[in-house]
Amino acid sequence: MSDVSCYLLGEQAIVVNATCLPKNKSPINQRLFALKKWLDSSGDFVDVVPAKSSVTAYLKDPRKADAWQHKIQAHWQDLEVAEVKPTHHHIEVFYGKEFGQDFERIADELQLTPKQLIELHSSVDYQVQFIGFLPGFAYLSGLPTALQLPRKSTPITKVPKGSIAIADSYSAIYPSQSPGGWHLLGQTNTTLFDPNSASASLLQPGDIVRFVEKSC
Amino acid sequence: MLEVIKSGPLSTIQDIGRQGLRHLGVSQAGVIDPVALKLANTLLSNNDDTAAIEVTIGLCEFLFHAPTNFVIAGADLNAALNDEAVYPCWRYSAKAGDKLTFKQNRDGLRAYLVVEGGFTNIDKLLGSYSTDLMAGFGGINGRALKQGDKLSYTPSTAKSSVGGLQPSYEKLIHFIPGPHLEIISNQTLSVLNDTIWKVNPSSNRMGIRLSGHSSLVHAHNIATQAVHPGVIQLPPSGEPIILLNDCQTTGGYPIIGSIIRADMRHLSQLGAGDCIHLKSTSVTDAAKESHRVQAHLNQLRLALKNKEQ
Repeated sequence: MSDVSCYLLGEQAIVVNATCLPKNKSPINQRLFALKKWLDSSGDFVDVVPAKSSVTAYLKDPRKADAWQHKIQAHWQDLEVAEVKPTHHHIEVFYGKEFGQDFERIADELQLTPKQLIELHSSVDYQVQFIGFLPGFAYLSGLPTALQLPRKSTPITKVPKGSIAIADSYSAIYPSQSPGGWHLLGQTNTTLFDPNSASASLLQPGDIVRFVEKSC
Repeated sequence: MLEVIKSGPLSTIQDIGRQGLRHLGVSQAGVIDPVALKLANTLLSNNDDTAAIEVTIGLCEFLFHAPTNFVIAGADLNAALNDEAVYPCWRYSAKAGDKLTFKQNRDGLRAYLVVEGGFTNIDKLLGSYSTDLMAGFGGINGRALKQGDKLSYTPSTAKSSVGGLQPSYEKLIHFIPGPHLEIISNQTLSVLNDTIWKVNPSSNRMGIRLSGHSSLVHAHNIATQAVHPGVIQLPPSGEPIILLNDCQTTGGYPIIGSIIRADMRHLSQLGAGDCIHLKSTSVTDAAKESHRVQAHLNQLRLALKNKEQ
């Protein structure tokens, strides 16, 4: 049985849903990125959008929907995952104090010293699993289990631009000031999203991010 | 130059929207009624990507500082040029000093104002002139028009008046059933089809919120997936949201349907308190409707070409 399901959402969006972990295969996220790359290279799609456990591909010509659903089902197992070469980014973070208003509370709640909290957050590679919520807002998977906690029950109205945050199993960086319910650990000066530049978003789906502590 | 004397509740610069950037979290934005924009641009021999002012509700006023031809398409918001009525989907000429006013009409919500050649002092951003109000870019600094804004255009000589037939706006809106219907209940589809849905006042360019039936309350979430304008989400409140052009690119509410592309234009005219019917249809019939709309536009192009040769 295939571990991927495919359906048409509306008239021209093909949703590919990875329903369970494939046996003896590479991680499902890697497979979804390989699928995105393969679909992008076909030239048949306006956009290919990864999400939590799916990829949605927007067809230029809706008449090709059936053919593509069959092609995806057939090709899923044979995707060359190794061909995906992600870009690596180092993001400098000022942790705590005025830069991360939830830093001390989170350290207390997780029973960690400030040093341990920083080490845990900055010692792993995160992968851009998908981008949503705001232009350039990347959901970074790979947050250590010891740092996972639910979102705030009440979002705050103004999360400062560049805020480094955690919630559930993700870390993220707010590209612009916005309301938000994630816990704020620090801040970066790096520009995440610039609508005037051709590539617009610094982070692209599949990229690898490493946080680096910066002291002022 | 077109000067904004009164901006009204919400007037924004919009074109067909941003395409191909959902994977970076960038919304489509753009006109909610693409047919109105295409009709207006066709009547002015403009390029398809020429931007319009999307006027919401009305209550606004513009002053022409140079001669041009213009078209208003979409809803009839009781527009007048120097107190003389201006009708949707007709081409008019304005002289320097002419004043264009929009009053208010209960029959529709949005009208599209386009000038010949388009506005020349706005730049494309990420492939589009559209204002992204949420992200704060595009159009004029990512915001709605305000009093004193000046939009430049290249002056043009007066053309004869000519009109196109604008297909009527309907309150019966077709959708293709969505992937998560059954997780709510096996009655969801018939509830969607059989209910008179009322448009809530909290509706905006991000989405139309509906109320009408209490049986759809649920406690399900789905793994966040890509969404787009036309998708019908069902939050736990049981009150469906039809996503519109400024919607986010991903969402975690169950998806119970998608409005067909040909019927998206009807959504542009729905305001608080309006009642609509939803009717499920097939992908095949949706494609037929899209062709019908395209054929209408093609006919207008052909007729104009013959007339103006």
